[in-house]
Amino acid sequence: MEKPEKLIVDGRRLDGRAPDELRPLKIKAGVLERADGSAYVELGNNKVFAAVYGPREMHPRHDQQPDAAVLRCRYSMAPFSVEDRKKPGPDRRSMEISKVTKEALEPVLFLELYPRSVIDVFIEVLQADAGTRTAGINAAAVALADAGVPMRDLVSSVAVGKVEDTIVLDLIKEEDQFGTTDMPVAIIPRKKAITLLQMDGHFTKEEFKQALDLAFRGCEKIYEVQRQALKEKYAIKESG
Amino acid sequence: MPEVSTGDFVVPGDLLATAEEFVPGNGAYEEDGKIYAANAGVVLVDARTKHISVFSRGAGVPTLKRGDIIIGKIEEVRDQNATVVIGALRGREDRALPPPNVGLIHISQTDAGYVKDLSREFRVGDIVRAKVINANREPVLLSTVGDDLGVIVAFCSRCRSPLVRQGKKLVCESCGNVESRKMANDYRKGVL
Ligand SMILES: [Zn+2]
Repeated sequence: MEKPEKLIVDGRRLDGRAPDELRPLKIKAGVLERADGSAYVELGNNKVFAAVYGPREMHPRHDQQPDAAVLRCRYSMAPFSVEDRKKPGPDRRSMEISKVTKEALEPVLFLELYPRSVIDVFIEVLQADAGTRTAGINAAAVALADAGVPMRDLVSSVAVGKVEDTIVLDLIKEEDQFGTTDMPVAIIPRKKAITLLQMDGHFTKEEFKQALDLAFRGCEKIYEVQRQALKEKYAIKESG
Repeated sequence: MPEVSTGDFVVPGDLLATAEEFVPGNGAYEEDGKIYAANAGVVLVDARTKHISVFSRGAGVPTLKRGDIIIGKIEEVRDQNATVVIGALRGREDRALPPPNVGLIHISQTDAGYVKDLSREFRVGDIVRAKVINANREPVLLSTVGDDLGVIVAFCSRCRSPLVRQGKKLVCESCGNVESRKMANDYRKGVL
């Protein structure tokens, strides 16, 4: 990718958005027939599926926890999801994202209700344009609710960052690559609790506050779309 | 007054009511004196029992309750009890049943009449249809009392071939062995 001359011109970003604007977001719940719960998320050019199976008995047995379910997350990118074809199978980046996704979702689940069980979350990225880990978390939260897994709350996630001294919401690939800072955040909307916060680059203290505030506002918008997706799923089933 | 009304759509985390006024029912939970939705679905406020619940369209995670019919496999037969690993819950064959998925059939809950020797009723590996009589303990308690309950497929304890029903007996067509079981009336009809 070549570095564009400027990432922000007259307060507009490469794709025409204002700094605090989210990319177009579409979420659909219950899209996969065979999963216990599922969701599809389109965020700009990102296309992500999440599938949930369980809770069901954990195999192998020595991975069982006697008093709680284990949440198992697997994030993977389809080989054709990025411009330079990606080698299939888990790499270090996928494993790291799987781990932070699990940590972002775990606090809202009543894992203690299902001893010796496992809840599997599979996140599959079909098309990637920066922000796939946050899109994956948004999809997984909806898929878990679609599966009827008891939850304390949903989880909403978005990245914020700094591009040419401007704090921006929901970075695209160019901004991710040539900007100064990228900070993915996941929150529990009702509690306003943070379940994921990573930072690549740096912020001043003031910038950090501003960025986090922007992330919270972005998550509120995402949360509304997540709710709507679950509501639409409910309505469809009702008429069918 | 609850924060929501019957028929309202809610998602996990939505405030339903205060715990002073209501009790969390299905799909709801209590935290710090408040009741929230644990599932996405529609609210049901029961003003009489003071329960506030959330009902999903999908059937959600299967759980065992009294009266459920299960299909399972006999794992162990002792003097007083047979242990069953529950494979499926009738009506919820769509989805795996999470633990607790082990049940016990006590000798007194095997058949309507007096049962002297449990090993003449069940053998390890048999597939049984049973009714849940207590789901509030682990293992859950099961019963095969009733014509439609009992073994639906049994295997020869000598050579493991499936046994064929002949009147009240089960016969092995491979080795000629004759055995008995507490059979369901539709033994080996292929119905779960
Ligand atoms: Zn035989």
